[in-house]
Amino acid sequence: MTPAFRRQRALADYTLAALARRRGKNIGLVAIYALVVFVVASALLFSSALRHEADTVLAETPELIVQNLVMGRHDMIEGNAIAALAGIRGVTRAKGRLWGYFYDSVNGANYTLMVPLDPERALAPGEAMIGEGVPRARGMFWDTAPLFLSRQPGDLVRFDVVERLSSESALVSTDLILLNEADFRDFFRLPDGVYTDIAVTVRNPREIETIMSKAGRLLPEARFITRDDISRTYQKLFSWREGIMVALAAAALLAFAIFAAEKASGLSAEEAREIGILKAVGWNMTDVIAMKLWEGALISVGAFLIGTLTGYLHVFAFKAGLFAPILKGWSVIYPDFALTPRFDGVQIAALFLITVLPYTAATLVPVWRVAAADPDQVMR
Amino acid sequence: MISLHAVTKLYNEGRPGEVRAVDNVSLEIERDAVTVFKGPSGSGKTTLLSIIGCMARPSAGRVLIDGRLVSGLPERFLTEERRSTFGFVFQRFNLIRGLSLLENVTLPAAPLGEDPREVEARALARLEALGLAGKAAMPVEYLSGGETQRAAIARALINDAPILIADEPTANLDTELTHRFLDIVGALRDEGRTVIMTSHDPRIWQADHVNAVISMQDGRIVGEYA
Repeated sequence: MTPAFRRQRALADYTLAALARRRGKNIGLVAIYALVVFVVASALLFSSALRHEADTVLAETPELIVQNLVMGRHDMIEGNAIAALAGIRGVTRAKGRLWGYFYDSVNGANYTLMVPLDPERALAPGEAMIGEGVPRARGMFWDTAPLFLSRQPGDLVRFDVVERLSSESALVSTDLILLNEADFRDFFRLPDGVYTDIAVTVRNPREIETIMSKAGRLLPEARFITRDDISRTYQKLFSWREGIMVALAAAALLAFAIFAAEKASGLSAEEAREIGILKAVGWNMTDVIAMKLWEGALISVGAFLIGTLTGYLHVFAFKAGLFAPILKGWSVIYPDFALTPRFDGVQIAALFLITVLPYTAATLVPVWRVAAADPDQVMR
Repeated sequence: MISLHAVTKLYNEGRPGEVRAVDNVSLEIERDAVTVFKGPSGSGKTTLLSIIGCMARPSAGRVLIDGRLVSGLPERFLTEERRSTFGFVFQRFNLIRGLSLLENVTLPAAPLGEDPREVEARALARLEALGLAGKAAMPVEYLSGGETQRAAIARALINDAPILIADEPTANLDTELTHRFLDIVGALRDEGRTVIMTSHDPRIWQADHVNAVISMQDGRIVGEYA
């Protein structure tokens, strides 16, 4: 073991003993510090997870959606528009979509009813697939419990639940009920040959503007929504939620700044005297600063690790329970989903930079001021 | 030989409340001897001791230790001089509460990068010589007055400092403990160490072990007795 290593070990040993001496104060300090890191880490991880969620949703969205407008409002679109759109060069597929909303007076929740486009999810008459929030809202505690929907008093439609949708994209699928096309038309008393809108898939997404232009000439009353439009809508939605998190994080950082500024304003008489004693018995300025660096590092890195780990567990293991009610939406059915665990090194590094470094710097300024003075002056 | 030439120390220099704690003092202190500064409170004894021990810098004048000029040294070299040459026993002993006796005694050796087992063995030997071996693990706040003083002496000597500086070391001790302290001082002198003390206490400056007494008043030397 080299003398330099032994010196650092001796300084670290002294630091640990010094921290243990003021155990109550230091535990309180680490707790407050870790709480600030926890809030900021939760905000960063939650925001990142929400953006990931948006990306997941968008990955399954068609490049173009065509909707019919009547008096500026969305209305059903005739099925012959599908053939017209499919005939445009560059369009690989055009398919009519059927979806709508249903208000469930039993519990005041709104469901999204939809006919799946994916042939693998085709349903037989009387069957349904439901999002994970539906059985929760309805109290359907066992997997094979049938779903009863009532459009008006005395009317009850039964569906057999064949599958519950995974929670991977529960933020948008939690209130979803997938039905067979005939059941959907019957439920909403919808005639054949009309659709809610048309999903268009194109060969080359860069040609979307050209295809929209051609489609606009064919369907002058229609509204065209691209994936980018949806992306912007989601970004606004998630940005609003992220904004709340940023505000929370900013408040936590402000508290942290006040805390660091208080630390930078000076040492207590007891701390200054201790530095004076250490200098008098032969420690030099760099020994004192190294010891205080150990102290600052043990407190700040300890609080950083505790705060980041608890923030990670809060967001990904406990589903951001503290923030979720205000962030996940306004529906009666709050999504109960687990965000996909993600570890973003840049975010963690940023968190380290904005929490550990300022505290360490704030700790060192008054120490340097005292340690640079003669011991006689400090101890007076 | 420790030599001071026209040493002056001002506190709050150039500001309201400026204090001339030491005023144009010149003197020489023999090595391997016991020297005591006496005088009333505020006479400049402690300040002069701090300057001799490289804990404070003079506002004017020069300090030489064995011919080496130390008064103008930068902080780093001044600390090195203090560490290698002096051991301090403060008036209130200034042990660090919450640390054990052994941790306090080894404190001056911590930044030297020595083998911790060697430092610990040295500290235990020093504590044993001072009758404190059985209390090594005890937090210092539980030691008696005499034990605290001996602990401070053990800490002062852990780096084998050739000069021991003690500021009013018997101020809070009874007669028996004062005599025991003087016995320790005598033993240290016999080991070949230099001891420089301040004291109000006639039992100290009249003791047989003391080789020189320097009397101070208002920051000046007003008498020297061998």
